[in-house]
Amino acid sequence: MSAYGPPGGAGPVVYDPMTLPVDDNVNKYTFCVELKSGQWFLQKGKMIAYYGAIEFNGIGHGRLDRLVRTSFHSPLHAIDWVVADGSGKMLLADRAFDVNSYDLDNGNLTIRSGNLLAFQPSLTLKQSIVPGFLTLIGTGKFVAASNGPVVFMEPPIRVDPQALVGWADCPSPCHHYDHGYMTGVMGGLRAMTGLGGASGEEHQFEFVGAGTVLLQSTETLMAEQATGAVPSEPGVPGGGVPGGHGQPPGAPRLPGQLGDLQRRFGL
Amino acid sequence: MALREINSKMVEATVVPGQRLFSQRGAMLAYKGDVSFTPNIQGGQGGIMSMLGRRVAGEATPLMTVEGSGTVFFGHGGHHVQVITLSGDTLYVEADRLLAFEGTLQQGTMFMGSQGGVMGMVRGQVTGQGLFTTTLKGHGSVAVMAHGGVFEIPITPQRPVHVDPQAYVAHHGDVRNKLSTALGWRDMVGRGSGEAFQLELSGSGAVYVQASEEKL
Repeated sequence: MSAYGPPGGAGPVVYDPMTLPVDDNVNKYTFCVELKSGQWFLQKGKMIAYYGAIEFNGIGHGRLDRLVRTSFHSPLHAIDWVVADGSGKMLLADRAFDVNSYDLDNGNLTIRSGNLLAFQPSLTLKQSIVPGFLTLIGTGKFVAASNGPVVFMEPPIRVDPQALVGWADCPSPCHHYDHGYMTGVMGGLRAMTGLGGASGEEHQFEFVGAGTVLLQSTETLMAEQATGAVPSEPGVPGGGVPGGHGQPPGAPRLPGQLGDLQRRFGL
Repeated sequence: MALREINSKMVEATVVPGQRLFSQRGAMLAYKGDVSFTPNIQGGQGGIMSMLGRRVAGEATPLMTVEGSGTVFFGHGGHHVQVITLSGDTLYVEADRLLAFEGTLQQGTMFMGSQGGVMGMVRGQVTGQGLFTTTLKGHGSVAVMAHGGVFEIPITPQRPVHVDPQAYVAHHGDVRNKLSTALGWRDMVGRGSGEAFQLELSGSGAVYVQASEEKL
């Protein structure tokens, strides 16, 4: 069976406004949204084509104020999102990544900000406490992209930070550090000299509790939006500019790691 | 079989105590259970001499040892993954294409010149394999990465297979390969078809080809 044509191989399928699927995938990489004088939020640049009369308005001051007030709670993201308003059908895609829609029924799901393409205004978008992730709450449909098909897993599981797409219903993850091979005499020697390198798997996100974890089958990330940088307030963990405490940006240094020296030697 | 394809870009590996697994460093996506990842200085199996051999041959990919009990998921760089199960024969593959392989397989390094002398070395240059390539021998499964989907073409003594050197991924079995050239005057004046070099594989076995001419 081919995704691009009828089984007879008579050539590509030609769609028109009538035959385009309604709120469903056209193929693995393209999703079609139908608007009936309604609205959808979508990330800038993810619309590849549309039929009908659809207006795309940036999120800001204006007549969309009410909508934004009720379902868009991420001032950091406002410049990356637009509201599609009108009637017609629009196609969403992103760099040939696999695109899928997900239905939330009075639930919550947290997703990497770069992977979320669009969502219905019946859902509410909020910034997750975990930097770089957004949480959707409520009932409705949203569209997300992933490099390779999404794989669903049940906790308890430990996930490479780059392979994580998102999670639903389970508590927020915690960090798990794994550097047992750096302990002991040989391990200490390895850590001191930097010889032997690192396994690259010292740090994972650990999920416990009940829920579902969404994984993508690659470690190549989509462009990350600097999200979750919360204002510097007392009681807000990680408030202020990330890495503003003299620590270099990126992963916190592991005990025994040489840091700059190790990086300079490319180990 | 310890390795299993979940989808086109992800493999699942079952780790049981006492059985080691080697994988490319940083290629773990997720794991369940109690599993440890140790960077492998030697870049695989064998002793110090094997390690030196790989270093000299440029086939020393950063590998890590995966031990413990649980389930591990591997994937890397959005590349397509193909699991190849070996039952006693030898797989020839470039070391940086190895995503994961079972510890039951014996890892070795082969000099391209040993298959066809100077032409073997030329072949290595054209396919991007260099002068050396990695061999895996024994019983077990290997996860090999490729750019684009992978398909397997069987090689029988009557039917040699011609492969674009850039699309070649790996081969196993009792296979002789040689570089066949189809150079003509057109290539000399710069109007060639772009298919002047082909890899001809003959014997009995199978060759794995990727649906892309891009290297990893």
